[in-house]
Amino acid sequence: MSDDAPEVRLPAAPTSPLEPWPETVKWQSISTDLIWVELLRLAAGVAVVSAVLGVGWALTGSWPFGLALGAVGLFALWRVVTIVRAVRAWGYAEREDDLLVRHGLLVRRLSIVPYSRMQFVDVSAGPLERAFDLATVQLHTAAAASDARVPGLRPAEASRLRDRLTALGEDRAEGL
Amino acid sequence: MPAEAPPSDRAVPAAEAAPPGVGPPPDPYQVAGPSSPSGPPQPPAGWAGPPPQDPSARQRLHPLSPALHGAKSLVVVIAGLSWSTLSRVGFGWFVAMVIVLALGASVLAVVSWYNTGYQVVGRELRIHEGLLWRRTRAIPLERLQAVEVVRPLLAQLTGLAELRLEVVGGGKTEAPLAYLSVAEAAALRQRLLALAGYPSGAVPATPAQPLPAGAEPPPPAGRPLHAVSNRDLLISQLLTPQAFLLPFGVAFVATQFLSEGSWSFIAVASTLTAMAGVLLQPVRRVLDDWRFQLARDDDRLRIRNGLLETRSQTVPLHRVQTVRVTWPLLWRMKGWLRLRLEVAGYAAGEADERNRPDRLLPVGDQPTGEMIVAEVLPGVALSSLPLRPPPARARWVNPLSRQVLGAGLTEQVLAVRSGLLTRQLTIVPYARLQSVRVVQGPVQRMLGLATVHADTAGGAGAAAADRDLADAWALAAELTARGQAARNPTP
Repeated sequence: MSDDAPEVRLPAAPTSPLEPWPETVKWQSISTDLIWVELLRLAAGVAVVSAVLGVGWALTGSWPFGLALGAVGLFALWRVVTIVRAVRAWGYAEREDDLLVRHGLLVRRLSIVPYSRMQFVDVSAGPLERAFDLATVQLHTAAAASDARVPGLRPAEASRLRDRLTALGEDRAEGL
Repeated sequence: MPAEAPPSDRAVPAAEAAPPGVGPPPDPYQVAGPSSPSGPPQPPAGWAGPPPQDPSARQRLHPLSPALHGAKSLVVVIAGLSWSTLSRVGFGWFVAMVIVLALGASVLAVVSWYNTGYQVVGRELRIHEGLLWRRTRAIPLERLQAVEVVRPLLAQLTGLAELRLEVVGGGKTEAPLAYLSVAEAAALRQRLLALAGYPSGAVPATPAQPLPAGAEPPPPAGRPLHAVSNRDLLISQLLTPQAFLLPFGVAFVATQFLSEGSWSFIAVASTLTAMAGVLLQPVRRVLDDWRFQLARDDDRLRIRNGLLETRSQTVPLHRVQTVRVTWPLLWRMKGWLRLRLEVAGYAAGEADERNRPDRLLPVGDQPTGEMIVAEVLPGVALSSLPLRPPPARARWVNPLSRQVLGAGLTEQVLAVRSGLLTRQLTIVPYARLQSVRVVQGPVQRMLGLATVHADTAGGAGAAAADRDLADAWALAAELTARGQAARNPTP
């Protein structure tokens, strides 16, 4: 490898922002049930805030409360749209040596985490997620900034992914 | 596994945590009296000396430590009460409050000293602490990154030292053992390092890496590399914004004081305290980096510095995650730069950031910097890194600094330059890459740009900002491949 002309050496890469290396990467999407989980979470938050604002409006009768209530409604609508799109955009891919996770719409993120850097794997499922039969797998490396979280997996898929990740991590264990 | 496991795992009672057959099982709750099972009870003064016959027995910290902790808390108490309290309650009450609070803190310090103990069991260091919530922390020595002996001012006066352990993945400096006698601290440090496998290189998580292996034949132990002249250090800290603004600050206070004539002592004192906070950083740097000496001992760097608080740090070269070169604006007329390094296990957000061995060179000229970088990262020439600027349309996001931005790959490292006024160059060896991320914000998407982050353990890693999208993907692919290759030199 020479140092002077890196451009020449680099392979021609596709330029689609969400689909890098389509010939080698098979993206898997996550369960769309996560949409319902996220929507319920949003609904709970919106309900609390609206209740507070509504009581405030009813007691004082001042118009800023009404305005805030309207803003909350608009925000909720906008979030509904983004949640649906964001969940659809979330994806992961297992390559030979690393895990790829992409997510985000406004700010698009792709993480490439080598299995050998894995410190531990978290599988978690909150009550709401459990109600929809979902789980979240998170891969931790020694770097705090590494961002490899895959939500909305079926428990079977989550444990398969966890087992595969731990097996691969042990095979290639490097740590630091 | 992180060093900070959930509390439920950590708060195992020590009696259960000790596996049978590993070391002597002294009852950990037996806090009264020395619990050395293989010897007669010893007078408390015996704790200060080197470990008795059985070094794996549970040891207590030095008996003077609560006094030192109490003195430390006195400073905190006074600072916490602040000037405004003094003005409100009057001097007598203020002193009384300070005494009461300090007494309370001292009692707590004594109780905590009485209940704190450490012991080495097998390849683990166990630290017991707490009266009501007993906690036994087991620190696997394989995860040990570095052990430092630190001597703060008070400890220097009393002949004590503090031992700080750095552990992989620990959120903060794990387990400062404060305080031990100097001999004891040095002995324990040697012992922990030996158990961690440093002399034999038997650390399981770190196979032979190309970095240390590619170096020239092992230099003699403790070969001095560089010593920073104290004059340069002073000048460099005078060339900081804080020092430059000092005359204006003093003039402001003086004019306020003279023109109004109504400022009370309290007001002036408060202002001075606030200014001292700003001024503290350069002063602190001078004190910390006084007599800065860098030496190389086999594959370790030895750093020695400090005026009031002498610290000697040992950094194994294969633990170096990133090297950061900084050219502050005011130093450029002198052609000076500063080198810092990030070592795994030292969290970025640590409150007391002085504890991290981050200084590689507090101030130095270009050739010195180049020499040290070549020493730490063999084969990296600071002045001839192949940096490429981002595409021209990146000026919409970085109107002034586009020419400064740059990223480049060499055979062993990724180098990223940024910063218009304070220029920074971050060097990450491929072998230290933890993960690679490509992030594209909304504006970047309109311009077809993306930022590539190279994450490392400890520190912020490096971010090649605003690359052309195709270039960013290629860079990410190349980094992943090279990281892979660097981890497995012979696949």
